[in-house]
Amino acid sequence: MMPRLLAALREWIARVAAIAGRRRDDADLERELRAHLELAAEDAERRGQPAAAARRAAAVHAGGVAQAMEALRDQRSLPWFDDLARDLRYGCRMLARNPGFTAVSVISLAIGIGANCAAFSFADTLLLRPLAVPRPAELLVAGQVNPFEDSLESSYRDYVDIRDRSRSFEGLAAYAKSTAGFAASVDAPARLTIGLLVTGNFFRVVGVQPQLGRDFRPEEDQVPARDAVVILGHEFWLQQFGGDPAVLGRTVRLNGADFTVVGVAPAGFTGVDQFTRFQFYTPLMMWPRFSPDAGVALFEARDDRRLTITGRLAAGATIAQAQSELATIGADLERAHPDTNRNSRLLVRTELQNRIAQAPPVATLVAMLAALAAGVLFVACANVAGLIASRAPMRAREMAMRLAIGAGRGRLVRQLVTESLLVAIIGCALGLAVGGAAIALFRQIQIPVDLPITTVFALDRRALAFSIAVAIGSAVLVGLAPAVRAARTDLTAAMKATDAAGHGGRRQWGRRVLVGGQVAVAVVLLVMAAFVYRGFARELRGGPGFATDHLLMMSVAPKQLRYSDAQAQQFFERLAVSARGTPGIVSAALTRYMPMDGLPPSTTIVPEGFQFPRGQESAVHATSIVDEHYFDTLGVPILQGRAFRAADSIAAPRVAIVNEALANRYWSGQSAIGKRFRVDGARGPWVEIVGVARTTKYTFALENPKPFVYFPFRQRPAESMFLLARTSGEPASLAAVFRELVRALDVNLPIANVRTMEELYRMRSVVVLDVITATIGSMGVMGLTLAVVGLYGLVAYAVSRRTKEIGIRIAIGADRGSVLRMVLGQGLLLVAAGLAAGLLASLGAGPLLASTFMSGMEGTARANAAAFALVAAAVLMAAAIAAYIPARRASLVNPTEALRAE
Amino acid sequence: MPNRDKARSKADVLQGTLDLMVLQTLATLGSQHGYAIAARLEQVSSGALRLNMGTLYPGLMRLEQRGLIRGSWDVTENNRKARFYAITAAGRRELEAEKAEWARMTTIMQALLQDEG
Repeated sequence: MMPRLLAALREWIARVAAIAGRRRDDADLERELRAHLELAAEDAERRGQPAAAARRAAAVHAGGVAQAMEALRDQRSLPWFDDLARDLRYGCRMLARNPGFTAVSVISLAIGIGANCAAFSFADTLLLRPLAVPRPAELLVAGQVNPFEDSLESSYRDYVDIRDRSRSFEGLAAYAKSTAGFAASVDAPARLTIGLLVTGNFFRVVGVQPQLGRDFRPEEDQVPARDAVVILGHEFWLQQFGGDPAVLGRTVRLNGADFTVVGVAPAGFTGVDQFTRFQFYTPLMMWPRFSPDAGVALFEARDDRRLTITGRLAAGATIAQAQSELATIGADLERAHPDTNRNSRLLVRTELQNRIAQAPPVATLVAMLAALAAGVLFVACANVAGLIASRAPMRAREMAMRLAIGAGRGRLVRQLVTESLLVAIIGCALGLAVGGAAIALFRQIQIPVDLPITTVFALDRRALAFSIAVAIGSAVLVGLAPAVRAARTDLTAAMKATDAAGHGGRRQWGRRVLVGGQVAVAVVLLVMAAFVYRGFARELRGGPGFATDHLLMMSVAPKQLRYSDAQAQQFFERLAVSARGTPGIVSAALTRYMPMDGLPPSTTIVPEGFQFPRGQESAVHATSIVDEHYFDTLGVPILQGRAFRAADSIAAPRVAIVNEALANRYWSGQSAIGKRFRVDGARGPWVEIVGVARTTKYTFALENPKPFVYFPFRQRPAESMFLLARTSGEPASLAAVFRELVRALDVNLPIANVRTMEELYRMRSVVVLDVITATIGSMGVMGLTLAVVGLYGLVAYAVSRRTKEIGIRIAIGADRGSVLRMVLGQGLLLVAAGLAAGLLASLGAGPLLASTFMSGMEGTARANAAAFALVAAAVLMAAAIAAYIPARRASLVNPTEALRAE
Repeated sequence: MPNRDKARSKADVLQGTLDLMVLQTLATLGSQHGYAIAARLEQVSSGALRLNMGTLYPGLMRLEQRGLIRGSWDVTENNRKARFYAITAAGRRELEAEKAEWARMTTIMQALLQDEG
């Protein structure tokens, strides 16, 4: 069997090689066939036939040369490939012969594909890209809904119950993120790192194995704070230890405690979060080391919900099964532990659902960009379809001719689709360049943190595959329908028609609707862009509500060196005092949370006398812990009551300051001063409100007013603090001084986030908004440009077809002005229709944008009208120019030439 | 294009036996041109087997692509240019295998047909 297989293989190799030109050429084949005939004739002659008859007999006997040649060509190479090559050659010739058509089609598609490539890359980075684990679709997130961040979180006790009772998961692991001071050895300075505290089965559940060393052992996840072992992240291992395998068994320090390195995670595995590249993993039982104030209570308190549970679906189990099973377990837990689990629902989500739930604005933004990109693609495809349609009459005759001489209709369809594909392929290549440029723009969005949290916008394999799919889809979309129509050509009708004028009406209508639709979509794109631009500009002009200039910050976390609460408190205070004594520093303050620096911590409060809706007893709000200089230093005014004082100490009555948004939510219409709330849940201590601060932006320049609670630094310990200083000169110049302040107090303490407020605000808000504005704005401009090109094409085509008619009109005395007006009027009528449809569709844009970003985006009716008017004027102007050029050409038609042209 | 399909199906039917016949002819008579092969087959079959060029030459090309025969231009005894085909070592091996297979097949067929008769 083997030799025959080899022989067949050799045949195919020879056939493939023939494509590349390694073959006997047609002349050689034909020479052989002719020789055959000669030899046959000679033979017959030798047998006594007359020469002429011998020749004829030989030819009849041997069959036709043409047929034999055809069979030989098929055998020589791969026929379908030859056909394809022929189609491609022919297609290239067609495209080269119509450079205008080719250029406009290619550029249109390039813009459409580029916009979609960019939108996909944006969506992929922020939402879609699956985790770097085997079979990521099987991994689900489970837990209780956290009303503040809408992430699913659970307590350790609940996790254990869920893990032990659930059957629809192959395994359930739990984890918590934690930052820690990391030092490679006892005397090395610590640096800030981020890691995951994981249950012992974590790596098995997510489906990866340490590349080096071993996984955690079951017994290492049994006793709190006993087994100090750590698995390093791959990237971190390369960075910190130069990829040295001898790292196994080494002792490193996390938050000042010794940990033994037992493994290194595999390359590419960066944890279960699309943005964070975790640097270390330790058993969850080591949690008390990372959260000293909580201690072992973390493993006991059923309502201390800080864990994320992730599980891999068991073979054959469905998400719906897992969901109903968890709902049952949740109901049982609620019955068994009413104190802690009342109203807590257990949910499962897919990774994607979880990402969307955690950042709904991101999801809406992604959906909006995708819709805009789809709009641009529609306009682009409509352009190409329009161009193909305007060439259809010409091509119809060509097709009819080819059908008449015996080409199969299937071959014709293939030929035409090949041409569309060719345009799409070139368009795709250029589109990738457009997408690449957009991605470079997105890359400006960087999260300013010292931790390895990154958003990697990249033109990767997924974006590439998506772009190619879009290109092929567009090609089939614009190419298939005309191809099928062309192949259905009625032979006689097409051949008889002197020109394609008879083909008329319906196709023309289709094109008009297409161009009207293009204008409408362009209008929607532009209105969106105008709204976004105006809304963003207004918000940015309004500022974040606090000063951004002359401010320098730095964060320190002395708990990372196992300071006690009191020691840490003392450290912060000494740091602030020494900062105040430094020349160049006007004032200095301490704060737990720095506005614009990620998500603020949260606290559970129960306002006195407030009636929550049924089933809710408390509310979770964003919070910070600040000292008495904070509001002055940051420039946030206290609107009512007072700021904190040094006298608000641990011995004094507990007080808080809330922002206006929180005051309005719970004590609307009355003063919040003197009102009380319970903190840390329904049985927590009472706290009295002594001041109301202005509502500022906290996490993003475009957020809705967010309720916020401030606690005095002396009454509430914090594990880490920012030092914030107002400087008299350039703030960045004091960065070194800042570091010195810490070193003077403790050489080993890691310092993080040394940056100016200006930089932080710019990175977190200005750049992001600029990029979004630029993206949406350029989509609007692209949409308009493409629509104008489409309109120009249509009018120019109409003029070219009516040259004769216009010539007659002029010949019988129509003046050129009226011809100009007629052609222009027809074009503009179309634009007006598209404009009206577009404006109507845009009425929904305001509310949609408002729901994406914030209520401010909706704008006033007058502002909206202004935006609409602006867009309408721009579109009309562009369209008028596009229609004027061919209209003017029409008015200059020379009647004698026009009539002679036929 | 439809005639391409017809030629193809006819060729397929003949392919297996044609290969065997061509290889056998070249093995016994030595290097031959296409017409000589056709003439030989016609003569041996007493005129029953008349190959036209559309069947013969693609078959030869296929055998050549498979490395079982090798073709090259040469002159006949009457000084005409023709493409001569010679069997290769691989061709001889293939011929032996095919012959054995053919013999086995005919034995089976004979046994079957006689049994029925």
